[in-house]
Amino acid sequence: MMLLFAFAVVLLAYGAVGLGLRGKLPSGVPAYVIIFALIMLAAHVAVRRFAPYADPLLLPLAALLNGLGIVMIYRLQESGRNGNPGNQVALMTASATKLQLLYTGIGIVGMVLVLVFISEARVLQRYTYTLGAVGLVLLAIPALLPASHSVVNGAKVWIKFGGFSIQPGEFARLALAVFFAGYLVAKRDVLALAGRRVLGIDLPRARDLGPVLIAWAASLLILIFETDIGTSALFFGLFIGMLYIATQRTSWLLIGLGLFLAGTFITATFVGHVMERFTIWLHPFQGSNPTNASYQLVQGLEGMANGGFFGAGLGHGQPYFTPLVQSDFIFTAFGEELGLVGVMALLLVFGLLVQRGLRAAIAVKDPFAKLLAGGLSFVLALQVFVIVGGVSGLIPLTGVTTPFLSEGGSSLVASWILIGLLIRISDSARKPAPQPIQDEGMTQVVRAG
Amino acid sequence: MNRALLRISVACLAMFVLLLLNMNYVQAFETTKLASEPGNIRVFDQQFTYQRGAIIADGDLTELKIAESVPVKGTDTYQRYYPYGPVYAPVTGYDTIYGKSGIEETENSLLAGTDPRLAVHNFTAMLTGKQQQGATVFLTISPTAQQAAYDALASDTNGHAAALVALNPSTGAILAMASYPTFNPNELTSFNGAKVDRIDKQLLTDPAQPLLNRAIQETYPPGSTFKIVTSSAAFSTGLVANTGTTIPAPTVLTLPNGNHLINDNGEVCGDQNPPIIQAFYMSCNTAFAGLGIRLTAPVLRRQSSLFGLNEPLNIPLPVVPSVVPEDPGWTDPSFTAMTAIGQWNDQVTPLQEAMFAAAIANHGTLMMPYLVQSVYGPGLAVIETHRPTVLSQAVSAPVASEVQAMMNQVTQNPAGTAYLTAGPPATSIVIDGKTGTAQNGINNDGLNDAVFTCFVPGTNGASPIAVGVMVQGGGYGADAAAPIAVAVIEAYMAHLDHS
Repeated sequence: MMLLFAFAVVLLAYGAVGLGLRGKLPSGVPAYVIIFALIMLAAHVAVRRFAPYADPLLLPLAALLNGLGIVMIYRLQESGRNGNPGNQVALMTASATKLQLLYTGIGIVGMVLVLVFISEARVLQRYTYTLGAVGLVLLAIPALLPASHSVVNGAKVWIKFGGFSIQPGEFARLALAVFFAGYLVAKRDVLALAGRRVLGIDLPRARDLGPVLIAWAASLLILIFETDIGTSALFFGLFIGMLYIATQRTSWLLIGLGLFLAGTFITATFVGHVMERFTIWLHPFQGSNPTNASYQLVQGLEGMANGGFFGAGLGHGQPYFTPLVQSDFIFTAFGEELGLVGVMALLLVFGLLVQRGLRAAIAVKDPFAKLLAGGLSFVLALQVFVIVGGVSGLIPLTGVTTPFLSEGGSSLVASWILIGLLIRISDSARKPAPQPIQDEGMTQVVRAG
Repeated sequence: MNRALLRISVACLAMFVLLLLNMNYVQAFETTKLASEPGNIRVFDQQFTYQRGAIIADGDLTELKIAESVPVKGTDTYQRYYPYGPVYAPVTGYDTIYGKSGIEETENSLLAGTDPRLAVHNFTAMLTGKQQQGATVFLTISPTAQQAAYDALASDTNGHAAALVALNPSTGAILAMASYPTFNPNELTSFNGAKVDRIDKQLLTDPAQPLLNRAIQETYPPGSTFKIVTSSAAFSTGLVANTGTTIPAPTVLTLPNGNHLINDNGEVCGDQNPPIIQAFYMSCNTAFAGLGIRLTAPVLRRQSSLFGLNEPLNIPLPVVPSVVPEDPGWTDPSFTAMTAIGQWNDQVTPLQEAMFAAAIANHGTLMMPYLVQSVYGPGLAVIETHRPTVLSQAVSAPVASEVQAMMNQVTQNPAGTAYLTAGPPATSIVIDGKTGTAQNGINNDGLNDAVFTCFVPGTNGASPIAVGVMVQGGGYGADAAAPIAVAVIEAYMAHLDHS
């Protein structure tokens, strides 16, 4: 039912784009919508088959976001093409929509594979260290590769060969979430041990600081070698969030936050790229910033202001003025064309998705699954916060994708795998406990249908 | 771990609340500020994606569209089009990708549809999927008078720069406002920035100054037309009782500083002590110079202010103030004598010339001149409509009728300066007026500026039209300026008779 609602919204949005751009319904739409609906229906059937007790909202919410993302990518792709008004969006090909649909398909396949092969979250616990190693390697590869094979738009976070490129960080985040969950479940009792008490806060023991410091150092290395604050912040935030969930020690949160701020401050002082981000954030309209350093941020802000309360309407705005509007800044395109009302709805959908994930975490009994679901939900929220907060000037802008909305395969596939894991865990959480065979009253019942 | 998870939930909630608050800030509270950021490419771009409101000349019975936005084929943009090109250019101004002038500039927020008074309409248009549209601006301009003025300026001035303003004396409505040479605003509406740049540069560097709206942006010596002010002061102060009162008019007046002032061509003015009415229609300099000295400069200046001088004006186009400067030289009455005949440093716009006549025509009450009659929203709802307002009481009604009697003789008395060009030999319409031939240039060696201010006395006391004309370097006011005024008056009166 909710899925049908998502289809309807996506279909109407498509129609609106066509009407907005050309004054008629776009011709390619039926094909795009049917393919999208078929993919999501397949996902629905797979969920019913492999995770029948799963939270019924997770798939429709993600599908809605994904569908709207495709609509916006279609709208941006058409800008300045086929006689439509506007300029062509740089770095966007005429087949962007088809590719995004393909990635959606791959993402759903990834999600279904998760459901098929991981019958219980704790299956993953066996691969804790394997996945930890995989995650670190994935994170490290772009840093080690020469720039020609790792830099896209100034961020050294890619693996690029031929026409094909992926952002390994997106997958590394998932692998590391599993690793952290496994590691912390094993070590949480030790880590929760209280050391000295200072100012009413129980400090952990000094020797237990090791893993935190290692994670911190790793995130700093990412920051320095891949010049990517976003990935670094997500990575470290994920770790600290999970550490807090595992130990329930506020001290870890404070230590983590302190380390992060210290790390950013230090790198900001020494790495020009990071410092510039702060300058742009604090003074976007100062001096020559609007035409140089903060051009993208300013265009995004002016775009959203142009949208105002109700938005310009799909196809009626001018999001094509904003560089990279199809990826990092896609949220500003929604702000411009759907207005404040539209982006508030989008944020609520994201919030609902995070909330359903956290609910699964609270409900599930297995501590590993609990930790994993909590961590994944938290990092999803954090990612939305970092990018939406970044493009709207709330926090310094860092380049991370908007989950499900941005153009690009890595982020989309990784997001769907994340949803697969949450669906699996919610299924475990809501599955009725196996009937005790000894229960005499129940053995008499013949269950029909 | 559930306690920690609950706290994490609260943290996530807090993050989303922060995002929601910030989005509200950006998209609901900061929009105006962001829209007015310099270099906002969207705001710049959008002004051509909406249909800008039309400008209508509504002074005749049939309204005439003089500026409109027409869709450009194959794009979703509109381009400005001026069906009559240069005829209305001094009124409409231009609307280019770089800037605006004229009504296009002063009424921009209404024409563009961004005026707060259109917000409700824009909102409903958005809800119903209609496009934002600008409001339509209706002007007081009479197409008949404006076209006649343009034609007369372009053909009758022998290439001299000239300007004309016609007013409805009883309301202040501007019936015509023409300036020559002028420009064709259609040449500036292109979206091709380089082309607009080139033509703009060409217009700006043209020595003929086609972009200058001489009717309101330039001042000229009023010459003898200023005698209207001088006589008004004389009647108002009681220095001269009525039109029959005699005043001294020597053939040569020796000024306090020793200079000699003579009448035009050294004419003898009647018996050198004529009634003021004769000195007026013959335009004797010595008579009014003498009056000026007796009146004193502050009195002249005060009277000129009552006629609308010495104050900036917005009609809504900004008007350069006409002035009788507050002059330290007033200690020497010789300069006052020259001021009284419009030959010292008094300077007036052609609009002010029309206002001299309009004030007398309207029984001494000077109405505020205005161009915008009404503004209608896209849904034909009235957004604003002009109510005539009094600018000042220039003279009392009895004084006005004394001055009118004198202006009448300028054209109707065979000895009047404009008898041949604006009197019975030239037209069957009774026109009351005053000529001016202002010496100009350094040491007065330039060509004389021809000036004429006049009105048609109404049949029932309501004058239909007052006109001010200035022809730069045109020579005699009666010869160069009066025929232009007559042409416009004849066209306009014929239109009134037919309607």
